[in-house]
Amino acid sequence: MVELWFAILCLMLVVFAVLGGWDFGAGALHFIAARNQEERRTLIAAIGPLWTWNEVWLVAGGGVLFVAFPRVLAISFPAYYLALFLVLWTLIMRGIALEVRGLVDSVLWRAFWDFGFAAANILLAILFGAAIGNVVRGMPLEANVPLSLPLFTDFGVRGPLGILDWYTVSVAVFTLVCLCAHGASYLAVKAEGEVYQRAKALTKWLWPIAVVLLLMVSLETFYVRPELFTRMADRPLAWVALLLTAGGMAAILTGPHSGAQTRTFWGGCVFIAGLLGSAAASLFPVILYSTVSGEYSITAYNGSSDASSLRAAIYWWPVALVLSLSYVWFVRKHYSGVHNKKDAPY
Amino acid sequence: MTDDAAFWHRIQFAFTVVYHYLFPQLTMGLAWFLVAWKWLYLRTGDARYGDAARLWTRIFGINFAVGVVTGIPMEFQFGTNWASFSKYAGGVIGQSLAMEGMFSFFFESAFIGAMVWGEKRLGPRNHFLATLGVALGSWLSGYFILVTNAFMQAPSGYAFAADGSLRLASLGDFLLNRWALIEFCHNQCAAIVTGSFAIAAVGAFYVLRGDSGGQGRLFLKWGAAVGLVASLIVAFPTGDAQAKMVARLQPQALAAMEGRFQSGPMADITLIGQPDVPKRQLDNPIRLPGMLSFLAFGTFHRDVPGLGAFPEDTWPTNIELLYYAFHVMAGLGTLFILLMALANLQQIRGRLESSRRLLWILMLAFPFPFIANTAGWMTAELGRQPWLVYGLFRTRDGYSAAVSSGATLFTLIGFTGLYFVVGLLYVFLVGREVLHGADPGMEHA
Repeated sequence: MVELWFAILCLMLVVFAVLGGWDFGAGALHFIAARNQEERRTLIAAIGPLWTWNEVWLVAGGGVLFVAFPRVLAISFPAYYLALFLVLWTLIMRGIALEVRGLVDSVLWRAFWDFGFAAANILLAILFGAAIGNVVRGMPLEANVPLSLPLFTDFGVRGPLGILDWYTVSVAVFTLVCLCAHGASYLAVKAEGEVYQRAKALTKWLWPIAVVLLLMVSLETFYVRPELFTRMADRPLAWVALLLTAGGMAAILTGPHSGAQTRTFWGGCVFIAGLLGSAAASLFPVILYSTVSGEYSITAYNGSSDASSLRAAIYWWPVALVLSLSYVWFVRKHYSGVHNKKDAPY
Repeated sequence: MTDDAAFWHRIQFAFTVVYHYLFPQLTMGLAWFLVAWKWLYLRTGDARYGDAARLWTRIFGINFAVGVVTGIPMEFQFGTNWASFSKYAGGVIGQSLAMEGMFSFFFESAFIGAMVWGEKRLGPRNHFLATLGVALGSWLSGYFILVTNAFMQAPSGYAFAADGSLRLASLGDFLLNRWALIEFCHNQCAAIVTGSFAIAAVGAFYVLRGDSGGQGRLFLKWGAAVGLVASLIVAFPTGDAQAKMVARLQPQALAAMEGRFQSGPMADITLIGQPDVPKRQLDNPIRLPGMLSFLAFGTFHRDVPGLGAFPEDTWPTNIELLYYAFHVMAGLGTLFILLMALANLQQIRGRLESSRRLLWILMLAFPFPFIANTAGWMTAELGRQPWLVYGLFRTRDGYSAAVSSGATLFTLIGFTGLYFVVGLLYVFLVGREVLHGADPGMEHA
């Protein structure tokens, strides 16, 4: 049961990374893929009416964390207090910018929100990347000592730890580039006109950079947590995920040059999902890794709520999932194909 | 020092939740007006309903967006600011919070974009369905939040796990908590009061402004009619049932709400007066004899315990504020019934649109349901103190020990500034929509 809930939690976060990822990536390219306000209107329309639905995967993932692993929530959220509020405020900025940008027909109004929107997306991609870096690197957990991490210390991964160090910063940079590439792939299948042309060109060099950065981050991970790679060897699920990553990688490296936008797009989705899946499979069962000593780590087993709570939730969770997919199927029918600027107000 | 931290955690949660709830109460209140107008438009093709739905959908969209972005911090704060509570009760209240995400957020978010921007893309029938979906989703979301609150007010469906934390014993008892069902009816009607006052106020504004389009008349008629029915149901039976439940399950809270220190039969209800807690008395009260016994237990002679009957460490921690909050809510609720009864009377006599003084009052009355809703929630939450989970877990044990009071104060100040700007933006955007009014017969692309 615990294993199942670990898988559900990972599933929700992976889906958020893929669906929310293209919205964040496209938004981060707001000034690069779209050069004037008409084009930016096209870009916003391509992100489309389902951006909130995509973001709900993060919020509902938080709900799953709450019900299934309350101890994980209770330790990690206070430890990252100020960083989490930075995420929240940036999410507020991004949501408001996206919603109100088109409400007033004024050049200055749109210019202001365009800037806020792009900046918020870039910052969020970096923050999400740093969060992944922190989960992999671990935190100085001890028994019964409330933990609070500073934003940064000496940028080293040994000794006194901060949220940002050379490792988490590299993961953050990789995440930013990877999401930008993903966003460009998305725009290349969803947008038209100049935005489409630029997005197509961007995928040609953003994806190769992302792959190079991935190789670097993998080497760094081998230095920071070598046991993750040895553990990966005897986990079949990690192998499946790695195969997916490799397949996705092939598609994103070859797709842009043969003009196969759809293949690139799906390749990017599989690449991101496979990468996070392989990380989750080799991290299991540890959720919060203690850099002090393995015995203080919070795992899916010692961090989960009681079996009765997990059992009750497994009845309603699949029902909710099927319902939620059916609503989106209903709405998507009307929004399939290429989007143009007419879908956004101004 | 530790009490200091608990104080700032409480203030931050109280501030962010009060601010957040200004928006969902209007969302939930407007949602069914929109469904009704979309339905009538679909059935009769009468353009007035289509125009009305279009104007209020634009306002709804702005309101909904602010509700969403101010709502996400609420869920996060359980973890960041109330970690000990989350660890203690996560296996139980995590259920309803996760269900809110899985069942209602996915529901609402799938349809909201299509509802606000997609009238042309979806066509009349599917656009009606999208509106219905958003309405159902927003009410479902309200229910899951009230289940969570009801568990904190009157825990049900739980058991103790081996480590002393709470675990779920019965999902049915947890979800169908009696407190949640009654609170839901009371709260949702109060949200409809907010929605109808807003619609009536805009109607009064258009009529006073001299608009000829007929939208003002439509809004006045609907706002006044629905507003009267909803105000009545808020008082009876739902408010009445809520009070009887508090009397039974939280007698300390009832005593503090009424500023009642001594026990005894034929308990009075206080219309006006100031509680003086150090002297254990109510200064210059105006009372109705026997009414509290009657309202709380259905008979005038029933003994209603005062605070003196309970140990002091189970008294609500801020009796004065609780007393005032309750009296503001109940007083305003009564005035709402009178105002809407008068408006309907004039409407039936065909004189509402020429009663300029009444129109001015209706136009300026729309903030008061927001105040009454807030005061009602303050009554519920202050009445629950000193408990976080009533009778089981104290508020002072629930906050995050790892977070200093300085860090909390910092984020509180951040929220204050950010929400001030968001509020300005909201007033500007909604004000523009109201001033602009409905475009007759224009489908929003």
